[in-house]
Amino acid sequence: MSLDLGFWTLQALNALQLSMLLFLLSIGLTVIFGLMHFVNLAHGALYALGAYFAASAAAVGGYWAGFFLAPVAVAGVGVLLYSGLIQRMRKSGPMAQVLVTFGLIFALLDITRIVWGDLALGLEVPSFLAGRVALLGVEYPAYRLFIIALGLAIFAALAFVLSRTQIGAMIRAGVDNDAMAACLGINVERLFFIVFCVGCALAGLAGAVAAPLLSVTPDMGLQILIPTLIVIVIGGLGSLKGAIAGSLIFGFVQTFGAVLAPQLASVLIYALLAAVLVIRPVGLFPAKG
Amino acid sequence: MLETRKLDKSFGAVHVTRGVSFKLERGERRVILGPNGAGKTTLFNLLVGELTPDSGSVHLAGEDVTTLPVARRARQGLSRSYQKNTLFDGLTVEENLGLAAAIHTGNATRLYTDSLARPEVREIVAEVAEQVNLMPYLHARVSEISYGVRRQLEVGVALATRPLVLLMDEPTSGVGPEMAKGFHDLLNNLPRDLTLLIIEHDMDLAFDVADTITVLNYGEVVFDGLPEAARGSKLLKDIYLGSWEDA
Amino acid sequence: MFRHTPLRYAALVLLASAALFQALTADYFGLEILTEIVILAMLVIALDMVAGFGGMVSLCHGALLGVGAYGYAILSTKVGLTPLMAMGGAVAVTGAIAWVIGAICARSHGIYFIMATLAFGQMGYSYVFEAPLFGGDDGLSGIARLDLSFIGLDLNDGRSFALFCLGVLAAIYGAAVLILRSGLGRSLSGVMHNEQRMRALGLTVWRVKADVFGLSGLISGLAGAMAAQHVMFVSPGLLSWTVSGEALVVVILGGLGTLVGPLLGAAVFVLLKHEVGALTSYWHLVVGMILIAVVMSRANGIFGWIEARFGARIERRAADAVRDIDPREVKTDA
Repeated sequence: MSLDLGFWTLQALNALQLSMLLFLLSIGLTVIFGLMHFVNLAHGALYALGAYFAASAAAVGGYWAGFFLAPVAVAGVGVLLYSGLIQRMRKSGPMAQVLVTFGLIFALLDITRIVWGDLALGLEVPSFLAGRVALLGVEYPAYRLFIIALGLAIFAALAFVLSRTQIGAMIRAGVDNDAMAACLGINVERLFFIVFCVGCALAGLAGAVAAPLLSVTPDMGLQILIPTLIVIVIGGLGSLKGAIAGSLIFGFVQTFGAVLAPQLASVLIYALLAAVLVIRPVGLFPAKG
Repeated sequence: MLETRKLDKSFGAVHVTRGVSFKLERGERRVILGPNGAGKTTLFNLLVGELTPDSGSVHLAGEDVTTLPVARRARQGLSRSYQKNTLFDGLTVEENLGLAAAIHTGNATRLYTDSLARPEVREIVAEVAEQVNLMPYLHARVSEISYGVRRQLEVGVALATRPLVLLMDEPTSGVGPEMAKGFHDLLNNLPRDLTLLIIEHDMDLAFDVADTITVLNYGEVVFDGLPEAARGSKLLKDIYLGSWEDA
Repeated sequence: MFRHTPLRYAALVLLASAALFQALTADYFGLEILTEIVILAMLVIALDMVAGFGGMVSLCHGALLGVGAYGYAILSTKVGLTPLMAMGGAVAVTGAIAWVIGAICARSHGIYFIMATLAFGQMGYSYVFEAPLFGGDDGLSGIARLDLSFIGLDLNDGRSFALFCLGVLAAIYGAAVLILRSGLGRSLSGVMHNEQRMRALGLTVWRVKADVFGLSGLISGLAGAMAAQHVMFVSPGLLSWTVSGEALVVVILGGLGTLVGPLLGAAVFVLLKHEVGALTSYWHLVVGMILIAVVMSRANGIFGWIEARFGARIERRAADAVRDIDPREVKTDA
């Protein structure tokens, strides 16, 4: 095992890149949960849809067409889901919600197979992000740096929106106590709808940016679902801070675990999750105390 | 039998109980009075262990139980009923009482027998049903009995663990004056060696059962003594009857 | 608390007759499907015990099944125990692991409980996948079936094996009913109704949860040992969370907290998978739509729907004979 500084820098960047990808996925899921107490297991499937939309659009109009179209298209799917299913499931218990979205996973999985086939699709990285960049003494793929930057930018933007704007205040009020928020004259239903759509758009965006790194397959949504859930449960449901903390913990434990203890790497993260749940049953930074 | 020493609890900046001390002798019936928000229910939660005090201690039958978990205190003889019914809705009255009696007799975790078929459980169920006038309803489901009968069952479930001390949080809350009176007769007919601590909102009714009275205001004990003294107390009238009007 | 109603008895008799008829007359393919249904039924009974009667919605029962299967495989092929002892060992190990998981997760509720059990299930999956002892991705093969020649049963014959599995399932069902009706089972339903009150009455809630989870683990382990003998091969896929998810789907499709419903659900699910699978490769889509429709309909699964629709009428007719009548006692929302 190489022990030079460059190697570790590389690993840290890899971990950061994985973290940011997970952050894009988990923030939507966690805020939807915090606000609506709705567990959307189909969030991973929306990410897969994003990747497919991006791959299709990129085949016609190049990478950036996919990059911008995927979030919009997935948000559109989110609108359909919200008005068709989720709005009606709002009053059901968590179990019913888990199951309906579990059914959605099944359905969306096969729908992607019907539309796009079983073969993996690929997506080219845009030419100016195709090379490597010298950074901190290592050569790092520019595209991965782009993901890190994108994740950080979205984090900053969300942090700003949540803490400084009126809609952010409304969301925080809703997470804290939706009945009270409704009494204060906040249109909670519309707020839910907006947040749900933004969450879907972010999932679509995550799919679009992940597509060039991984091959686009129908089960990519299933593969990412468990890590995303781990992130939000470790971090604590409903909070931005929890989502970023959980993502970083997952990214670093996973990446460094694979390097330092390859035998244990995959068990490590689950053991960590179990430990968090035992010591702090509601996660590290839950939205509610 | 039950004693508290200087119980303090605050939530953030709000002191809900301050230095609450009192002592119940075996068989004593004490009623806790106080306006809404005086800290009565918090005090109960501290006594049974659903909350931990910031300082002070709780003693049950001479033993310090301040740090014991809820279930342990219950097994040592501390039982409570709730202000809002906490019954097992799909089950019958008999099964509700049986669940509690099974815990007391150690049948609640047995795998080989149905706890409700055990003679010692049946005996307690029959006795408690007699004590709280539930005999006619034994085989009715909770959903089929009236609110007043549910209040009786709420106390009955707490009684079925055969406690040394029974804490009752507004046992007559939500029932009419007629029925509340009957409820107090029922309490008066409980075995004399059972120690009772009752939160009661209605002062006149409280005097029916109380041997002694504690009045809480803003989390502090402002009166502790005999009902006769309480009745004439100027202090009590000021702080309690003031809020009495709008309660 | 579990109660047998006339409708439940009727459903049991119907299911048992159909299964017996199938076991005695079916061809090779039919017997394979029957055995698959019966083994899935064992697992979903274990799951319904904790989820339907204790509100513990577990996503690790697939992994528990896998532990039972791997336990049997290792103990019989690598350790060299006789199949019967290997089965006993596998069941005991699974029960013990389940008890520990139950004890640790007892404090968590709702989505956190689901996630915590998922974490333990995935931990097992990853471990089995990576550890060389377990054959990694390739799994283990060459697993023998139980030798029951002394009572004249050759389990290598598909028909005998199917009948044997049916017998095991009947025993499991009986055990589950007894457990749910015991003092422990009553306390469990009390905990599901109102955990805080049970604690205030002096019950050590986590012990009840852990004990029932452990018992459910014993059953899952037995199901796993049977599954390993059925296909005579084990692979990590058995422990995957999708197996747990499917088991949960079966319980819900059938009717949570009815014990009979999940049996029906297992039959419907496997038949659907094979029938739809034969027509199109998109059977997940069909199952997904059905699942959504069932949950959206707010019925408690297929059997819950039947009970709500016909149960009252049948019960009224039987009310003179049976006193303990039973409208639905379990809520869908755990």
